[in-house]
Amino acid sequence: MIAAADILLRLAAWLLVAPLLPGIINKVKAWVAGRRGPPVLQLYFDLAKLWRKGTVLSTAASPAHVIGPAAAWVALIGAALLLPVGPAGASLSFRGDALLFVYLLAFARFCIALAALDTGSAFEGMGVAREVSYAVLSEAALITALLTLCVQSDSVSLATMLAPSAGTGAALLAAGLFGVLLAENCRVPFDDPNTHLELTMIHEVMVLDHSGPTLAAILHGAALKLLLFAVLLAEAVLPLGKLTLPQAAGALIAAVFAVAVAVGLVESLLARLAFRRVPLLLTTAFLLCLFALLVAWKGGKP
Amino acid sequence: MTPGWLLLIAGGGLVAGIFSARKSPRVWLATTLAGAIAALAAAAGMLASGAIWDWQPGFVIGGEAVHLQLDGISAFFLILLAVLGGAGTLYSSEYWPDTAHPASAPSGRAWWNGLLLNMGGVLLCANGLHFLIAWEIFTVCAYFLITRERQRPEARAAGWLYLASSHVAMVFLFAFFALLAARTGSWELGPMRDHPELAPLFWLALAGFGLKAGIFPLHIWLPSAHANAPSHVSAILSGMAIKMGIYGLVRFTGWMPAPHSAGWVVAALGAISAVLGVAFALGQHDLKRLLAYHSVENIGIILIGLGFAMIAAAHGNATWGHLALAGALLHVWNHGLFKALLFLGAGSVLHATGTREMSRLGGLWRAMPWTASLFALGATAIAGLPPLNGFVSEWLVYLGLFDAVSAHGPASFAAILAAVALGMTGALALACFVKVCGVVFLGRPRAEIAEHVHECGWRMRWPMLALGTACVTIGLAPILFWPALATAAATWQPAPAPILPPVSLVTLGAFHLALAALVILAAVFLWRRVQHNGVTRAGTWDCGYAAPTPRMQYTAGSFAGIITGWFDWILRPQRHAHLPKEAMRARADFAEHTPETVLERFVEPAGLLAIQVSTAVRRLQHGRVQSYIFYLLLGLAALAILAVTGGSK
Repeated sequence: MIAAADILLRLAAWLLVAPLLPGIINKVKAWVAGRRGPPVLQLYFDLAKLWRKGTVLSTAASPAHVIGPAAAWVALIGAALLLPVGPAGASLSFRGDALLFVYLLAFARFCIALAALDTGSAFEGMGVAREVSYAVLSEAALITALLTLCVQSDSVSLATMLAPSAGTGAALLAAGLFGVLLAENCRVPFDDPNTHLELTMIHEVMVLDHSGPTLAAILHGAALKLLLFAVLLAEAVLPLGKLTLPQAAGALIAAVFAVAVAVGLVESLLARLAFRRVPLLLTTAFLLCLFALLVAWKGGKP
Repeated sequence: MTPGWLLLIAGGGLVAGIFSARKSPRVWLATTLAGAIAALAAAAGMLASGAIWDWQPGFVIGGEAVHLQLDGISAFFLILLAVLGGAGTLYSSEYWPDTAHPASAPSGRAWWNGLLLNMGGVLLCANGLHFLIAWEIFTVCAYFLITRERQRPEARAAGWLYLASSHVAMVFLFAFFALLAARTGSWELGPMRDHPELAPLFWLALAGFGLKAGIFPLHIWLPSAHANAPSHVSAILSGMAIKMGIYGLVRFTGWMPAPHSAGWVVAALGAISAVLGVAFALGQHDLKRLLAYHSVENIGIILIGLGFAMIAAAHGNATWGHLALAGALLHVWNHGLFKALLFLGAGSVLHATGTREMSRLGGLWRAMPWTASLFALGATAIAGLPPLNGFVSEWLVYLGLFDAVSAHGPASFAAILAAVALGMTGALALACFVKVCGVVFLGRPRAEIAEHVHECGWRMRWPMLALGTACVTIGLAPILFWPALATAAATWQPAPAPILPPVSLVTLGAFHLALAALVILAAVFLWRRVQHNGVTRAGTWDCGYAAPTPRMQYTAGSFAGIITGWFDWILRPQRHAHLPKEAMRARADFAEHTPETVLERFVEPAGLLAIQVSTAVRRLQHGRVQSYIFYLLLGLAALAILAVTGGSK
């Protein structure tokens, strides 16, 4: 009973906090540009509105158009339950859950991609092709980052892997994971969440034909994924397991906030890369994780 | 019933099927299915009880006493054979009926039973000579099944290539078994781990069995054979026949000592096959050829697991080796199940549309909802995604690799590379199956043939449903299958203590179950919400273009373009482009085709060179006596020089 209540409580926290992050990023961007910008809670309003709206469904659409976003959303929630929340630990932790985490993200990508291809739109085809292609490199980087943590902690369970800091290679790992975060969440310099030119987008173009509740599910899932990566990055770098409860909670919140600000700053100061350069940047992220792994492997143990 | 009687019924059923194949398809169907069920019962009973069935009746074939044995590894592979054989049998009764193929269907049934019978024979034979005989007969049966449509030149070419490569493999296997018999003094097979002098023979086994399994540079026969065979045959070829190569490797690495570098080589070949197999798959436009390349990928994943199990066995039997082996063995089952499901689904598409060309398909889900959903299920499984079976076996391999990394042993660095390769393979396979499902089943029909299609009948649907159910069951309750895995793993290398499942396997199963239930729940919930809010139907958003046509949809080639670009160095795609340069150009076209690079760039030139050299040498032989006398003199002179210079020592 207590376990169930615990899971529900965490779930509520994840679901409620997630839409905050894009709001913070947008506020930072507005601040840098000297605008006032939309309210921090804008995404909450958008989601509430979309949930009540009707749907415009393509005549070519199949049931995958609705099942896909729903399945992806569930998979992301599953991933959230596996990720420990600082000192509170994870609601579900077992040996090998780190790999399940990676593959749940992949499952979510698979579902969204199929839902996007469903309408037979050439634009969405382009977006999906980019998404699944670049994911190959970011998945390699993510697996390498997990291997680094595994070498550090001699464990394959996220709760133990993320408790200590990433050690000597922490800076390298943070840089690599930040690159993966930007790519997986379709932020500048990989993708531009603001653009409305279909030919140049990844994530936005995949959801062109979604509307109403399905779009709400996709947007909320995307926000949740951003939060997942921000928490993963914060916990991989900070030694939260060694701090007291209030300290750790404060550090985690501050770190997630810092990640959101950093994303906003990157988005304000950098331009989106040409698509042919994206693999180079992702390979760099992979190499950073690989160097972190080498440092952990050679330097971490006496 | 004892395993002996069940196997007798299985063999009897298959033989009766051979004799009834021509006259009575119904009797054939009944006896063959009964045989498959009996074999399934025998193998399952063995795996459940762990009791080895050993039968030496005392009669002699080819000068050697018959010796059949059903142990953990044989039973593990026999279960897969029985399931896929049964599914393919039922499927073919609708897919390849006498009415549509009056000439090829009746004899096809007989060859089919011959194939099943002899694959079973290979699994049971504990005598090298009989192993070879059964191996050769099943190879030839498969040839006749691949060339069912021998009026088509591609089918003949594919069959010929298959036959030639299989016999190259056969040469290696002859050498392997003959040397083994010569060194041990008997054709009897069994554990011979205490003969270190046998270790070098492993390389012959690797070449012979590796060619059958389709390891990367040796996979040349595989794509065309799988693409041109009838789909139920493709399913058994991919699901079982190439697994016979894996069976051989598992069997003999378990029985024989292996050289020190063997595990490393197997793991490296596995990683190469996994990544390049899926890269080649992405370049294909032919649905079945694409699936065939995924077999290369999955064989690679199996070999990564087996290779690390061998490394662990060579380094003090570390526990991570058990995990890698369990993952590899479970992947043998899983790949057999989901690949057969996908090939049967592809067969259903081919049956309905008459084409394997993905660029001419599209939007099939409307007319073929069963095929589309079952194919999507298989695609999720083969992409290694939770909550299905593909993820469970990859997860076990990953656990083995991660444990190897954190063991800080000699295998750590290799395990890092293998884990990254496995991760990339998973993401590439995901990309590939998003492409297949999206292009074939979603969107709109790209050509007229895809518009008037029909769903397959129930005799084609049931086998797919059964295979799909098996995939789901292994995914949701993996722990139920652990005893079978543990029995097979313990046969491979007898361990002092029973091999325990990783504790988290139960949790993983429970998580998968919850995930599956929640996905269904969320989908229903979202669906109801969408219906509740109201749905307006409209065309797909096309940026305001005035006259959209289905041909404007993204194609399979463009979809894979980014990734095939990365692998240009090995795929060597041929591109023909007439791009529009001036404004308002009337015509523009672009075509891309990924050739069989290994076959066309390496094997064929080498073959041509051999022919040229042989032709040049043949000029020496022309029937002129004078020249022969001249050769004799030359030979004598050479001998004389040799004698004079050699004598001075």
